[in-house]
Amino acid sequence: MNVISIIFVLIAVIAIVMYNTLISKKNQVDNIFGGVDAVLKKRFDLIQNLVASVSQYMEHEKTTLEKITELRAQAMKPGITDDQKIVLDAKLTAALGSITVAMEAYPDLKANENVMHLQRSLNEAEEQISAARRAYNQAVTDLNNAIEMFPTNLMASYMKLQPKKVFEITVNERANVDVGALFNK
Amino acid sequence: MKSTSELTDFYYKELYPSLSELEKTRLHILSQFKWYGTMGAVAFIIMALWMGKSFGLFHPLMIGIVIGFIVLASITYRFMIQGYAKDFKAHIITPLIAAIDSHLLYNPDFMISQHLFSRSSLFQHDIDRYSGNDYVKGSIDGVALEFSDVHAEYQTRDSKGRTQWHTLFRGLFLVAEFNKHFKSHTVILPDLAEKTFGNLIGGWLQSQNSSRDSVIQLDDPEFEKKFVVYGNDPIEARYILTHSMMKRIVEFQKKISHPLFISFIHNHIHIAIATQKDLFEPSIFTSLLDYKQAMEYVNTLNNTIGLVEELKLNERLWSKS
Repeated sequence: MNVISIIFVLIAVIAIVMYNTLISKKNQVDNIFGGVDAVLKKRFDLIQNLVASVSQYMEHEKTTLEKITELRAQAMKPGITDDQKIVLDAKLTAALGSITVAMEAYPDLKANENVMHLQRSLNEAEEQISAARRAYNQAVTDLNNAIEMFPTNLMASYMKLQPKKVFEITVNERANVDVGALFNK
Repeated sequence: MKSTSELTDFYYKELYPSLSELEKTRLHILSQFKWYGTMGAVAFIIMALWMGKSFGLFHPLMIGIVIGFIVLASITYRFMIQGYAKDFKAHIITPLIAAIDSHLLYNPDFMISQHLFSRSSLFQHDIDRYSGNDYVKGSIDGVALEFSDVHAEYQTRDSKGRTQWHTLFRGLFLVAEFNKHFKSHTVILPDLAEKTFGNLIGGWLQSQNSSRDSVIQLDDPEFEKKFVVYGNDPIEARYILTHSMMKRIVEFQKKISHPLFISFIHNHIHIAIATQKDLFEPSIFTSLLDYKQAMEYVNTLNNTIGLVEELKLNERLWSKS
C-alpha cells in the first residue's frame, strides 16, 4: 500500500512539474512577443515620419514608399494574428531595406539632418527588432522542444498546446533585397 | 591610433635615450643584487651548517630560517627596484601612452574606483581589500574609457581564528561608454560549468545559479561554448550582443590567453581580464631593450586601448550621440 502511494505521489509531482514548465515556457513566448510587438510599433511610428520626410525627395521611389505605407497600415490593423504579423514584418523589412539602399543616391537626403536622425533611429529600431526576433525564436524553440519531446509531449497534447512558428531570419536581409526588381514594377 | 609596428618603432627610436639610461641602472642594480645574493647565500650556508651541527639538519627551526631568507630576499628586491620601476613608468610608459593617443592621461599610482568595479557585477563577493595602479583615462575616437590594474581580495577566518586572504580578481579592469542605450543588466562570464560538466549538467547548474539573473541562451555556438550570459532582459541582451558583437568578443578571447569577464550595465561596458599579474612592472632580470619584452608592453597597451575599435564602440549608427 505504501509503495503504491509513494508511486502515486511521485507521478503527481512529475505531472505538476511538467505542467508548470510548459506553462512558464508558453508565458515566456507570450511575454517576449509583447516585447517584439512594442519594438515593431516603435518602428511603425518611425516609418510614418520617414516616409513623410523623404517622399518629397524620392519621386522615383513612389511605388515602394506607397507599398511601405500600405504594409504599415495592414500591420497596424487590430485583430491580426501573430503569424500574420510575422509575415508582414518580413515584407516591411525587405521594402525598408530597399529604401535605405536607394537613399544613397540622393545627396539632398544625406545632407538633411532630420532624415539622417530618423535613419539612425530606424537603424536602432531595426536592431531592436532583430534582437526581439532572436529572443522570440529562442523562447519558441524552447517551447516547441518541450511540446515535441518525451515525456513533456504527453502533457502538452493533454493541454492542447501547439508548436509555434518562428521568425525567419535571413542574415543578409538588406544585402539580399533585389532593388532592381522592386523598382522595375 | 597607431599600429603596433609604429609603436614598436617609437619604442626603439624615440625612447632610446631613456631606455639606454634605464638599462645602465638595471645592470647596476642587477650586479648589486648578485652581490647581495652571494653574501646572502654564504650567510645561509654558514647558518645551515651551524644549525645542522647543533640541532640536526631537519630541525623545524630550519624551515623558519629558509622562509626568513626568502622574505628578506624579496623585500630587498622590491626595495632595490622601487626607483627603477618609477623611472620606467615615468620615462617609458607615460610617453608610450601619449604616443598611442594624446587624449589619454596616465597616473602610475592611481586606480579605477572600487565603485565602478563593484558596479560591474562581475564578481559578487564582498571586497575587503582593494588596490591597483597604472590608471589610464581619456577618450579614443570620442569614446570615454578608463582602465587600470586591479587587485581585489576578500578575507576569511579559519577554525583557529586566523585570517586568510583570497584573491577575487587580479588583472586589468576597463570601463568604457557603450554606443547603444540600454536599461538592463547583462553579464558575460567564462563558461566553466559547461566546460567541466558538459552541456546538459553544466547548463542545468548554470540555470540554478540563484545569485545571478536568468541564463540567456544565444544563437552563436562558438560564443555559447566559451561564455555563459546572465541577464534580466532577453531582448536587450540580444540587442547588445548582436551576431557581430559576439564574433568580436570570441575573436578577442582567442587573442588573450586569460579568462575574460564582460558586463553591460548603466550604458557602459565593463571588461575584466584576469591576467593574475601587475601589468607594467619591469623586472631587473630582463632588458628593456629585449624585443619580446618591448612587444609585451606595446601589445598590452595597444590591445587594451584598441578594444574600442575592436569591439566597434566608436560606431555611431544609432540615435545615442
